[in-house]
Amino acid sequence: MIRFGSVVAVAIGLVVSLAAAGQTVSARADEIVIGVPSWSSANATAHVLETILEDRFGVDVALKETSNAEIFAGMDDGSIQIHPEVWLPNYKALHDEYVLRRKSVVMSPRGVPASQGLCVTQTTYDDDGIHTIQDLADPEKAKVFDTNGDGRGEIWIGAPGWNSTKVEQIRAHDYGYDKTMQLLQAEETVGLAAVDAAVATGKPMAFYCYEPHHVFELHDLVYLDEPAHDPRKWQIVDPEADGDWLEKSKAGVAWPPSFLHIFYAKALEDSHPEIASFLKSVNLDVDTVSQMTYALVVERRDPAEFAREWVDGHGERISGWIEDAE
Amino acid sequence: MRLTIRTLCLAIATLAVSFSMGFSSPTQTQIYDARSGKWVSYDPSQAREYFQRYGQTPEEFQRRIVPFRTAEKPGTIVIDADRHFLYYILPDFQAIRYGIGVGREGFGWAGIVHVGRKAEWPTWTPPKDMIERDPRLTKYANGMPGGIDNPLGARALYLYEKNRDSLYRIHGTNEPWTIGLNLSSGCIRMNNDDVIDLYNRVTRGAKVIVLMTGASLFKGV
Repeated sequence: MIRFGSVVAVAIGLVVSLAAAGQTVSARADEIVIGVPSWSSANATAHVLETILEDRFGVDVALKETSNAEIFAGMDDGSIQIHPEVWLPNYKALHDEYVLRRKSVVMSPRGVPASQGLCVTQTTYDDDGIHTIQDLADPEKAKVFDTNGDGRGEIWIGAPGWNSTKVEQIRAHDYGYDKTMQLLQAEETVGLAAVDAAVATGKPMAFYCYEPHHVFELHDLVYLDEPAHDPRKWQIVDPEADGDWLEKSKAGVAWPPSFLHIFYAKALEDSHPEIASFLKSVNLDVDTVSQMTYALVVERRDPAEFAREWVDGHGERISGWIEDAE
Repeated sequence: MRLTIRTLCLAIATLAVSFSMGFSSPTQTQIYDARSGKWVSYDPSQAREYFQRYGQTPEEFQRRIVPFRTAEKPGTIVIDADRHFLYYILPDFQAIRYGIGVGREGFGWAGIVHVGRKAEWPTWTPPKDMIERDPRLTKYANGMPGGIDNPLGARALYLYEKNRDSLYRIHGTNEPWTIGLNLSSGCIRMNNDDVIDLYNRVTRGAKVIVLMTGASLFKGV
């Protein structure tokens, strides 16, 4: 894993430096800055919000590509006003820090229901008999995912730095498939291209998945079954807070129900109260976010053009949100 | 790490030169067969005999267009070292699939790079320590000219991380019978016909995604 680890570190460095160099935000008094984290659905929502705010509220909007943590810090210090898509419970710690403790950030109450877990391709489910997460802990079954002859399978559990990746490590440890499977971390592009290649050759493939996500539009995928979420069996210890986090954590059940929420800087309620109210009323859904993401990522639509088209085509829906806010 | 890989990469290139010069092959070499999930002995003479008998690599590794559903844009290269395929993404969920020979330990790493440089009939230069170990390489100290005996084959695509040469290459080979096998260290080898075909399609700056496989796919050298 040392090699993979160092390459991944280089890759992540590349992403961060591109994000830092690629977007420069000018400081105008009336400007709203929307932070854009690295995943594709957030990018789609960010562009749609940008277009709506410019059209309906007449403000200048800039998008700033940066990390999730930086967006929260930016909403706290006033350099960023909106986070288009915060995953909960994944980023509950950031929610607790900025929304509950510092009270500098507000969570829009209307969440989009989301799902996450481990997926296999349909052929893996049908032909290789992998149906449950517990199957991965079965040494004989895990072998179908072996690509290097060490007797263990390999599985992509997410990108380094994602909160979910740490949780997936805990889940692997709790379920016991960290002994039968090698846990691979890499940028999402690499993980998803591996799914594409597996589908192309019928090769067994298991991986961390979440939706809304365009990969469900591309391929026939199945969530692996697992016991329903039970809060008593879900204890996530922050690796930065405790070196013994893996042993002290437990997560041998399904993820809790997950939601995507818009977050915004509390200061927006004073500077642009009508926008703050509007953000509380935005009501997206899984299908909408998935379709927007598919258009941007798979069909490679220009994000700004797509957002313009979507906003023009959903005028009544958007007006409804604005009326709700009023 | 990089120096190690570079040394390995060039060491195998030297091995290729040795083969082409008729030197003896390594013994006890095994490769990992992803389909059977077993380590199998590699006998270069058998692979060479197969190629000479049929004049081509096994059918599975011959160039073809295949369905390939992906979010990656046309012109992107995806390398699946596990199955010994390189995909060049086409529009409409299709790809050209080429058979490749990959390195010991698979590609040894995974990630995203790009084609930073392209070269026709590239020169290969053995490092000093290699020449010290094998004086027969002295005549190539200033570079072995491109040509049919050159282990880098007809074309080379140099893979870069940002603006830096990663020291990995996609290149041709003077040993086409090694396509489909793990025998070239960190580099990706293709038949000369295939690497010329790919070279003519790919543009500088093209994104190259190297998929993760497990660790070692090759042992015993």
